[in-house]
Amino acid sequence: MASFTISGQAFELDRLGIEQCMLDLLPDPLHEHYVVVRGRRFPPKQVLSCATGLDRADFTTHQARRILKRLGFAAARVQRAQADGDGNGREFQGSTQAEALRPHIGQWVALAGPTEVLVAAESPQEVLAWLARHERSASYGMFRVPASVDEAEGAAPS
Amino acid sequence: MRFEFLELPREGGRALARPVVLVQVEDLEEAPQLCLVDTGSAANRFGAWLAEATGVDLSGAPETTLHVGGLTTIARHARADLTIAGVRYDAPVSFCDPWPFAFNLLGQEGFLRFFRLTLCAAEGWLEVEPEPAILK
Repeated sequence: MASFTISGQAFELDRLGIEQCMLDLLPDPLHEHYVVVRGRRFPPKQVLSCATGLDRADFTTHQARRILKRLGFAAARVQRAQADGDGNGREFQGSTQAEALRPHIGQWVALAGPTEVLVAAESPQEVLAWLARHERSASYGMFRVPASVDEAEGAAPS
Repeated sequence: MRFEFLELPREGGRALARPVVLVQVEDLEEAPQLCLVDTGSAANRFGAWLAEATGVDLSGAPETTLHVGGLTTIARHARADLTIAGVRYDAPVSFCDPWPFAFNLLGQEGFLRFFRLTLCAAEGWLEVEPEPAILK
């Protein structure tokens, strides 16, 4: 547990509590920065807002990043996918697309590009709700990432 | 219009490439579906959740019990507007419940009868061209 003062208020925060808090939430769209919570990328402000109950306008992204890093969360900048029309050919796109989808095996995903996963969720309804809420479009389509080769080839999941 | 194969992750090997086509169901513009082209399927088979999400009325629709990929499912047969490669058309669709599969399927009656397909698995792409009749 660590103490922080944010927007004039004192908070006691710890990593486990924040992980619990984010468990049922889907990540909002990422802009410039993200932090990794249990393998998923979230905007730092979304995480800190959930953990403290503060409005996102009450602190800056840099403040959120600094606090979350102190609690042991990995933080990084968004790197835009370069697979679209980069001239590196089919093999490059293929391997990067499969790798971009790998963390989402078994989940429904909405793609904005071959390797750009907008949102991943357990049900198609959650994906649709997220797209509507954030006014985003899955221009590259939505589907469920098969959990096995059998499933990808048309067999029912076991 | 050309569609690149979707490359899926699999354990310890090369990615698994699947021939998919982007399909807008009714007016669900923000979430077109990546559907698997299945030349062995007699009809389009979609998850029933899509009918609910797009407001396709399945009440009173004729039902069939289907056996697909090791699963028994109830298919309710209806018509839905599909948009593929910029062409919107009225297609027969079997909305299935349960439908635990990763993909919706594009088959003969609701897809291949309306589009000419060129497929190159060696290079990982397929092209769909509307049959002239669909454009009239």
